[in-house]
This record gives sequence, C-alpha cells and structure tokens, in this order.
Amino acid sequence: MTVQMFWRSVRARWLGYVAALAAVAVVSGFIGLVLREVNLANVSMLYLLAVLATAVAYGRGPAVFASIVAFLTFDWFFVDPIHHFTVSDPEEWVSLLFFLVTAIVTGQLAAGQRQRAREAQQREREAVVLYDVVRLVGERDLEDGLRAVAERLREELGLEGVAMEIAQTHGAVVRVAVGDGDALKALQAGTLAAAHVLNAGQSRSNRRALPGRWVRLVPPTPRLSDARTTLRDRVHLVPVRAEERRVGALLLAAAPESAQFDEAADRLLSAVAAQLGLAIERARLRTEANQAEILRRTDELRRALLNAVSHDLRTPLASIMASAGSLQQDDVVWTPEERQDFAHAIVDQAERLNRIVGNLLDLSRIEGGTLRPDKGWYDMAALVDEVLGRLRPQTAGHNVVTHVPDGLPAVSLDYVEIDQVLSNLVENASRYAPAGSEISVSAQRANGEVRVAVEDRGPGVPPAAVQHLFDPFYRVADGTPRPAGLGLGLAVAKGLVEAHGGRIWVENRPGGGARFTFSLPLSEGVENPVA
Amino acid sequence: MSQGSGARILVVDDEPALVRAVETNLRKHDFRVERAATGEEALEAYSRHRPDLVLLDLGLPDLDGLQVIRSIRTHASTPIVVLSARGGEGDKVAALEQGADDYLTKPFGARELLARIRVALRHVAAPPHGTEPMVAAGDLVVDLEHRRVTLRGREVHLTPTEYDLLKIFVANPDKVLTDRMLVETVWGVAYRQQAHSLHVYVARLRKKLEADPQVPRYLLTEPGVGYRFVTESPSHIAE
Repeated sequence: MTVQMFWRSVRARWLGYVAALAAVAVVSGFIGLVLREVNLANVSMLYLLAVLATAVAYGRGPAVFASIVAFLTFDWFFVDPIHHFTVSDPEEWVSLLFFLVTAIVTGQLAAGQRQRAREAQQREREAVVLYDVVRLVGERDLEDGLRAVAERLREELGLEGVAMEIAQTHGAVVRVAVGDGDALKALQAGTLAAAHVLNAGQSRSNRRALPGRWVRLVPPTPRLSDARTTLRDRVHLVPVRAEERRVGALLLAAAPESAQFDEAADRLLSAVAAQLGLAIERARLRTEANQAEILRRTDELRRALLNAVSHDLRTPLASIMASAGSLQQDDVVWTPEERQDFAHAIVDQAERLNRIVGNLLDLSRIEGGTLRPDKGWYDMAALVDEVLGRLRPQTAGHNVVTHVPDGLPAVSLDYVEIDQVLSNLVENASRYAPAGSEISVSAQRANGEVRVAVEDRGPGVPPAAVQHLFDPFYRVADGTPRPAGLGLGLAVAKGLVEAHGGRIWVENRPGGGARFTFSLPLSEGVENPVA
Repeated sequence: MSQGSGARILVVDDEPALVRAVETNLRKHDFRVERAATGEEALEAYSRHRPDLVLLDLGLPDLDGLQVIRSIRTHASTPIVVLSARGGEGDKVAALEQGADDYLTKPFGARELLARIRVALRHVAAPPHGTEPMVAAGDLVVDLEHRRVTLRGREVHLTPTEYDLLKIFVANPDKVLTDRMLVETVWGVAYRQQAHSLHVYVARLRKKLEADPQVPRYLLTEPGVGYRFVTESPSHIAE
C-alpha cells in the first residue's frame, strides 16, 4: 500500500470520529438548553441518538468513540460536581456506567446492522454484475460480449479503463479495451506487455489468495511514455482460467486516488474471472460441437455430390457406350443411316457431358463466390434462338414454340452464363415434359426487367419441392417420383441469374406443367433486392 | 441375325438417346421394340402390347421402377431386366426381390445387353421349373427325382442343406438370386439376417462342384446382390 493510499484511508476514518464529536456536541448543547428549563431524569439517554446516528453512518469505531465522549461530556457538564470527572452521588455513578454500557451495546448493534445491510447491498450488486457478465459473454460474438462486460465492470468499479485478452482455441487472441483517453491508449498498447506477463505465468507467484495483482504495463512505443508514467502500478491483472488452463486476463486501470480494491471488489473480480473462464470453455465446446456438425454435413454433402455426379455423368455415358459399343460389333452390318444415328448420339451425349461438367464447374465457382459475370449488351431474341437451335437433339420429341416480341431492349449479361441458364431450363423441361407436348420459351419486358419464361406440360413441381428446387443436389424425397437430373442445372441457373442481379422462380401452370422464369434487370447497377 | 425371332421388347427409360441406341440394336437383331419414357407409359404400353420382355430403368421421372415391377408381377411373369447405375446395389436387390429377373449396370455394352435379354427369354420358352426331373449344366447333372448330383458322371455327395441350396439354383438357372431370397428359402424367414451361413454353404458347394472354386463356372457371385447359377458356357455371357 502506498503512502497516498494510507492517508486516504486515514482521512476516511477520521471523518467518522469528527462526526461522532459533532453529534455529541449537538446533543450536549440541546441537553444544556433543556436542563435550564426543566430537570429531567435520565436525560442522558438523548446521547444514545448521537451514538446510533454515528453507528449507522460510520460504523463500529466512531460509535464506541461517541459513547465514551458522551459519557465523559455528560459527567463533565451535567453531573455534580459539575466540571469535575468525579461523581458525588454513587447512584449517579451507577446510572452513568449503565448509560455507557447501553451506548456501547446500542452502537455495536446498529453498526452490525449497518455492516450487514452494506454487505447485502454489495452482494446484490455483485449478483447483478455477475448476471450481466454471464448474459453478455453469452452473446454470439465473443468480442462484442467481452466489450460489454468490460464496460459493465468499468462502470461498476469506477475504473478508468478495462481491457480483456482472451486466447481462443485456434490460437487467435481476442483483445478488447474500453476506457477514457490515456488509460484506454495505455491499455490498448500495453496489452502486449501484459500478454508477456501472462505467458510467462508470473502471476502464479501470488502469495496472497487474491484474484489478481498489480502489474506495470510497458507500452511498446515511446510515444505513449506519458501514459506509461501515469499508469505505472495502476493496472490490476486478474488471470482468467478455464479448466486449469490460463486463457486470458482482465486488465483494470484505476484512477490514482482509488487504486485499491476492497474485499468485495476482489471477490467480484474472482467471480467475474471464473465466469469468463466458464463462458470461454462453453464457447470452446460449442465451437467443437459446431465443427463436428459441419464435418458431418460436409460428409453428407460429399456423398450427395458423388451420387449426383455419378448419376448425371453416367446417364450420357450409358448412351455413348451403348452407341459406340453397337458400332464396334463386327457381327452386325449397320446401314449408313444407323451408323450416322449412333455417331450423332455419341456427339450429342458427349456435348451433354460437357454441359454437366460446365455446370459442376460453375457451381463450384458460385459456391466459392468467384463468379464474376463478364457482361455485354445482347439481344435476348438471338440468345433464345441460338440455345434452342443447339438443343434441338434434346427437344426433338417436343413441340418447341417461342414468343419473343420485336423491339425488346438489349440486356446487359454474360452471354455464356445466361446461355447456360436458358439451356438448363430448356433441357429440364424436355426431360420432364411428355413427348409431343409443347415447350414454350418466351421473353417480355416488365417493371424495368426482362423476364424469360420456359413453360412445359410436364408433371409440374410438387408443392413441397418448390422451395428446395434450386438447392444444389436437391433430390425429391425417396418414395416419390425423382427427377432424372438432380437439380444441379437449376442450382447453377439460380447462382448465375443472381450473379446478374436477377431472380429465378418456378410456379405450376394452370392446366398442368411448370413455368420457370428468370428476370434480368434492364438498367445497369440496379441490383434486385430480392436476389 | 435372327436371335430375336420377333420377340417383343418393351424398353422403359427416360433417356431418349439411350432408348434410341438400344432400339436400333434390338431391331437389328430381329426384336420388335416398344418404348416408354415414364412408369405410367410403361404400364399402359405393357397392357396394350403384352411384350415378351421388359427392359426397365429404375430411375423414372414419375413412378418408382419398383412400383412398375410390382404392378406387372401382380398378373404376369414376363421377364423383367432392370437397368440401374453402379452403386445402386440396394436398388438392384430390391428390384430382384420384387420379381425382376436380371439386371444390367449402366453404362453397359450392346453385346452384354443382348446376351442378358437372350438368356431371360430362353427360360420363358423352357418348361416350368420342377417338372423336369433331370437338369444338366455343362458337366453337372442334377437328378431332382432321386436327389442325385453327378459331376462328369461321378456322384457328388451333398449334405441336405447343400442339396436344398443347389436345388434352388438349379430351379432358377441364369437368374440372379439375392442373398435374402436364398436364405429365406433354404433356412426360413427367421434367418433372414444370417447371410453368413449362405456364403459358407455356397463356398462348400463350390468346393464340391467347381473345378477351380476361386474361379467358379457354375455359381457366380453378383457383388453386393447375391448369386447366379450359370448353365451356359462362360463365353456366351461375356461382358
């Protein structure tokens, strides 16, 4: 304890004794006035009020002091012989002594009551602070939670600044500091030095069972040397432990005149440190549980991906193998038309394989967030024509009609990507719609965007599937009809359209079938908020 | 080429390119071909054309392929050859247990397809199982009337369980039998989970009947599905 602190505590105590003297003086004056008028028996009991008041306001010591002073004062001023400490009447002696005992006992009781009330208040405050700490640390973001706890502690203990350092499992250290001017600066800069103290484990050498100890912060830069002098010996370090491991520390910077923690504050600090440790341990366990869950999901996704890829890739492969294998048979004589047919099938299906691989690559770029549409101004009618021309082998069994009005404005788009979107939608329609039914591709202008719709007369989309239809690898639950492709194309279409600031959706048509629509904004820079 | 001799085959697959290739092949080999792209179409085409064999893809856009098998099996024993992707062993087993006769794993070659179709059709032409007292496959002769098994003219001694197992194989020549079907027939439904015993008995039969038990000629393993008793010489069912 410094000299300064000593004087501070002496000053606080003196105040009680001075008040005791004053209280006794006031009561003495009053008794003097009263006795001039009437003679009252046991008027000395009025001093008990002074003793009580002193006990309640300043506690035990001043109360005893007040009792003795009152005893002496009464003896001196009001008991015969007046202005002598001797007492002539032995009965007076007895009542004086009786008064002294009563005063001291009353003072003790009142002071004890006061002490208990203060402790109860103190504990209530601690409980509230602890509750706040637990609540705040439980917040999603550890850093925000710690900052809130630091603010709460600073307010509660009237500190200049509070800093916290918490090491997380993966090695990262979360540092937060709150406070005013210099203290904050010093805490922010000084945490490094504190971390050094922490790592070196010096605070273990605490001889007393206090939660923390006073340390010197050494700011790393000379620029902060002012803060260094003002903060020397004024930073209190409380280690935070979780499962016996040191995981961090509380750093508390106090103002020079209050750089001391009483028992209650020490208790509060150890409780806060313990709660922080628990909270951090909980957070660690939660993170581990999350990671296990993520791993499990990743595993599931990987299996789904493998299934999807194997199915989607094998379907065209099966056609290629059947066709190529047929050509290879040397015991069969094929007509030139048949040979042409097999060759066409091989080429078409190889192109389809290529599209699937393209979709897979696009999907990985979409998921990886590396998709950057390379936009230019294009005519939608031309794009529709080109896609339908290329997909003629797939749509040969269907009646494909287009409705694209003249004078549709040019749209800013990445041609390759939107080509893929439309291809996926048309291929999807041809896969589901029964042979001979109509597939309609239309484009129109609406509300500052261009909408392209692909409509079919297939089975439509089961209501339960609508919201998942665009999820990658989405597969309608077993037991119900399952799509031949696995929605990879739709997931890619969604990703590509959204990268253009557009939307894509599906609805069932009156009279059966599905309508897939995607929209692209007409004016550059107007990103659709729904996307 | 006239192996098909006009047999009518219903090809059910939603993949037009594959159907076209299969159809061209089958027509070339003198089969008549009907096609269907969905389960509903398949059932309709089946009742309209009464095909001699159904080639059925399990992954159809509307109905589950298994439902199609069940529907057909309720009133007919027309051979059904299932098309399924590799990795779908569970699907194959389910299909066989629903009554499919054989399966082909996608992608498959044209030659293999024709061989499987031919085998499946031949057994329809053969008289119903159990009426024939003597069954011969290569050097192996099973006399069902006298419970005698001979290999190259020499009698082979089999335990009752071994004989029961062999009898099922002989009664279902060239057909894939799933582990469960075999266990249930030989040991009973209560032993459904005991596929291990089955593997042990198949191994014993191979030891007694096969020239080289490690490269069986009669009792072939269908990985992940079950076993097949092969009556033809291996060259006919070359992959």
